[in-house]
Amino acid sequence: MRTLSPPRPTTVAAAAPVAPRRHRRRGRSTAAVWILVSPYAVFLTVFGLAPAGYALWTSFVHDGSFSGLRNWAAVFDDYRLGEAAGNVTAYLLLWLPVLLLTVLSLAFTLHARPGRAAGALQLVYYLPGAVTGSAAALLWLFMVSPDSSPFGPLLRLLDVRTATDALSGGSLIAVLAVMGVAVHAGGWIVVLYGALTALPKDVLEAAQVDGASAWRTMWHVKLPMVRTYVAFVLISSFASGSQVFVEPTVLSTGAPGQISPTWSVNQLAYVYATQDGDFGKAAALSLAMLAVGLLAAWIVITRTRMYATDTTKAG
Amino acid sequence: MTALSRGARALFLLGAAVFFGLPLLWLLLAPTRTADDLTTGSPLGFGALGNVGDAWSHLMSYNDGEITLWIGNSVIYAAASVVLALLLCVPAGYALAKHDFAGRRALLTLSIVTMILPPAALVLPLYLEMSAVGLTGTVWAVILPLSFYPFGVYLAFLHFQANLPDSLLDAGRVDGASELRLFWSVGLPLARPAIALIAFFGFVRCWTDFFLPFVMLSDDRTFTLQLGLMSLLQSTGAVNNSSGFADLDIHQSEAALAGLVACAPLMIGFVLAQRFLRTGLLAGAEKG
Repeated sequence: MRTLSPPRPTTVAAAAPVAPRRHRRRGRSTAAVWILVSPYAVFLTVFGLAPAGYALWTSFVHDGSFSGLRNWAAVFDDYRLGEAAGNVTAYLLLWLPVLLLTVLSLAFTLHARPGRAAGALQLVYYLPGAVTGSAAALLWLFMVSPDSSPFGPLLRLLDVRTATDALSGGSLIAVLAVMGVAVHAGGWIVVLYGALTALPKDVLEAAQVDGASAWRTMWHVKLPMVRTYVAFVLISSFASGSQVFVEPTVLSTGAPGQISPTWSVNQLAYVYATQDGDFGKAAALSLAMLAVGLLAAWIVITRTRMYATDTTKAG
Repeated sequence: MTALSRGARALFLLGAAVFFGLPLLWLLLAPTRTADDLTTGSPLGFGALGNVGDAWSHLMSYNDGEITLWIGNSVIYAAASVVLALLLCVPAGYALAKHDFAGRRALLTLSIVTMILPPAALVLPLYLEMSAVGLTGTVWAVILPLSFYPFGVYLAFLHFQANLPDSLLDAGRVDGASELRLFWSVGLPLARPAIALIAFFGFVRCWTDFFLPFVMLSDDRTFTLQLGLMSLLQSTGAVNNSSGFADLDIHQSEAALAGLVACAPLMIGFVLAQRFLRTGLLAGAEKG
């Protein structure tokens, strides 16, 4: 049940003729709203919620019969989970801040001077993310091999002599993080740059008239105006980072044996499903990853008031 | 802007361009080079154009040029899902941003849930769903699930929330426009940037998706390009999980060329989306 907005004080002259019209509109607008959202709601139910519900059910089933928390207990008892969770945490701590900084600084710097050059540069920033599958495995393996990589001088500077050096110990996390930034930053730069260019010009011009420096305009005017987008980047990136799968898989395709096939949590879920054929455990672990992502999303959403409408913002 | 800050800005942007651009430059040159040259030659060396032709004819020799069929399939699947996704996402994002209705928060929350859920977790249930209605093996088993795009709904939601003030809609209401009419003639014309972004990212998602077509399709004549390339490269041993690095040497130029063919449409899509974005912004400026 939704509560209606409190009646306005009758002393406000303008309120009297407006109130009844508003009331009528609500009735009609409900029908209109459902025409607009119901096709999506149907798809959400059929291709999102129903399969998700089935996955939840699967997580409680073992060998065809209901088995309570057995799958969940087995997953959390798996010694590989602790290792994988440690790897993913280290990866997130390095990758997420670097990604956010890269995305924000490049999008804002590009927006300081919009135009054709900004468009072309965005395409360049997007390029690594467009390479997928076997080509990505080939590409990144060569990128981390000092002798054949265009980044060779840089790698040698960091005392990386062979691809094996790059993919072992602490440098593996760094390699994965750099690769993750290269692959994911471009798309977000496009989203954020698009959000910035769509901002109303008068507000930005007003800031310039005020004599605010470029830095102050960015920090106090532009950033607050796109805060919901930044929140969205944060939610999505945290989820995709905590579910990192492609980067370690791609590197281990090129150099098998160097990177554990269960390096990340999502890879472990994949091993459960494909090698063990244990869909119950795979579903339980996937849902555990969902829970972590949702916790982060909830924190970001409540802190940024992402769901506010014009009306609720005012009220 | 002072000369110094302008210089620093250009240096920063170009430095980033080198970092993001070098990997693709290497990939662009790789099909011109031989496997030997890739490992021993200069990292950004240029081989011979003839090698590209050879690599292409090797790719084309697989099942009488089945690769062109896969490209066509991918285009059809992606186009259909993107159109359907736009029809679903834009009205829903508009209603979620501009109307306060019972169930709004539930829709927003459940969309985030399905967006964050590891996609692989949905593939098996989706397969069971599709086989229950007898759609597995058909194009619909790929197109329909991919047109459910919560990420796109969020892009539309955020766009309308940030750029369509309530006052503009209220003005239309005073003139007696119906809510659907307002969406059509006020919301939709302002949605151009969101449409461009949703179409582009939706296209990327359909084009690069591997799991869903892998599970749903069994006849190789219905494969997408990604799926087909994977089966081609695996059957020829260019990238082999078990023997790895050593085997990778055999067909590297083909793998690189295949990768370029697979990402070319994404580049084209990017340029088209950007053009659409730019004209949309100009149109907005003229009106304002």
